[in-house]
Amino acid sequence: MIELLLPALVIFLLLNLAAGMVRVARGPTAADRMLSALLFGSTTVAILLILAQWMNEPALRNVALLFVMLAAIVSLAFFGMPRDDADDGEQR
Amino acid sequence: MTDLAVDVLIGAGLLALAWQTIIGKSLFRGIVLFVVFGLTMALAWARMGAPDLALAEAAIGAGVTGALMLVAFRRLVRIRPEQSAQPALRRSRLALPVAVLAGSLVAVIGLAVVAVERDPAVAGQAVAQALTDSGLGNPITGVLLLYRNLDTLLEVAVLLAAFLAARTVFGEDEARSPTPSRREVPLVGALLAIIVPLTILIATHLLLAGSREPGGAFQAGAVLAASGVLLVLAGRLQPAAGLSSWPALGLTLGLMLFSLIGLAVMAFGAPLLALPGLWAVYLIETAMMLSIAMTLVLLFAGASGLRRGSP
Amino acid sequence: MSTTEVLAAALLLAGGLFYLAGTVGLLRFPDVYSRLHALTKADNLGLLLVCSGLSLLAGSWRAAALLGTIWLLGLLAATVSAHLIARHARARHFNGGEQ
Repeated sequence: MIELLLPALVIFLLLNLAAGMVRVARGPTAADRMLSALLFGSTTVAILLILAQWMNEPALRNVALLFVMLAAIVSLAFFGMPRDDADDGEQR
Repeated sequence: MTDLAVDVLIGAGLLALAWQTIIGKSLFRGIVLFVVFGLTMALAWARMGAPDLALAEAAIGAGVTGALMLVAFRRLVRIRPEQSAQPALRRSRLALPVAVLAGSLVAVIGLAVVAVERDPAVAGQAVAQALTDSGLGNPITGVLLLYRNLDTLLEVAVLLAAFLAARTVFGEDEARSPTPSRREVPLVGALLAIIVPLTILIATHLLLAGSREPGGAFQAGAVLAASGVLLVLAGRLQPAAGLSSWPALGLTLGLMLFSLIGLAVMAFGAPLLALPGLWAVYLIETAMMLSIAMTLVLLFAGASGLRRGSP
Repeated sequence: MSTTEVLAAALLLAGGLFYLAGTVGLLRFPDVYSRLHALTKADNLGLLLVCSGLSLLAGSWRAAALLGTIWLLGLLAATVSAHLIARHARARHFNGGEQ
């Protein structure tokens, strides 16, 4: 039962990510696009942890640990971006 | 069945992300998608049972390349504002033939791999047996240092060559510092105080555990480099002109120590680069970790030296 | 199916729901601040529930401690990221929009 729940949850989270991609396409500001990168970061960590349990591969927990440790780097790099550009302003 | 669904989803997601990354309407969107692509790639490595690669992808893909691209984009905005607004890709008439050729190449290689009969009795088992005797439990570290040692040595040399090549263009414009001086943001100091010591701990763990479980010099070096990148981004480390002695030692330590030990064993009648024992493996891995980290941080900072900066 | 497994399954499912809530918030909320709010809060609660469920399943203190550390670091990363992105959006808003 639990062996079925784990992959089902992985699939569910992957579909979640696919839905989150809409925000990258739609924008409208650069900050909105960064938010989808955040969503990907936190969801990928959960998926890796579930995979570690499901595939019985404890090393994947270390991968997840690295991800959460380094997640802030991209935000910090983004923060230095100029304020009034990087916004292509298009709406779809 | 569920295995297949997970793999198909990850595979299809990777293809879609790669496609969206290169046809992106704007450079910035392409960069965000590339970061996301790196995260998904780590999932793919995890599913393929390659945690070593997933570790490297986590440190390099999530930590260093995303920040590098954002910083490069930031600089492009400053020096060529009109170019940063253009779409990332111009159409070319060569695109279709190149795509067809590349696609058929992948198909041929894939078919060839599928057609080859697996014969586990030959090299694989002999290597696994020899590695058990050597005391290296992680086959990847073992193969890298005991069987592909010349390749590994040259990989370290390639990193150094990349740094020397990049050095020729350092300092071309005055806007080369990735972080213009600005006020310290409240939470960044706390973040650094927690993350930087932790990365050193994790890098050491990956290095030491690398002989038994997934990890090793490249992963550990990439993790250290990521914390260096964090410090550069926060302005705690500032690019400095001129190569001083400490960074120079860090850059070349891995190559020097590996070559020295590799040559020294010949005096005792062993073949070139035959490592004399586990102590040599640990020594060389530590030196390589420091060199890899130093090279990546200096490449990121775009300078041949670093100095302490006020926050 | 033992009691531990039932509890773990419940926690995991609840975690999945919070992740769903975060994504819905990201897609449906009207401006960047509320999206930020939805995403960073809901996802971290989801991560906590997933980590607790997995610790029950892993059945070792070492794994549970690692999962707890991952959650705490995730909380830290989300806090700092949300702060930086919000600051960036706000500065842009005041520079570009209302002057």
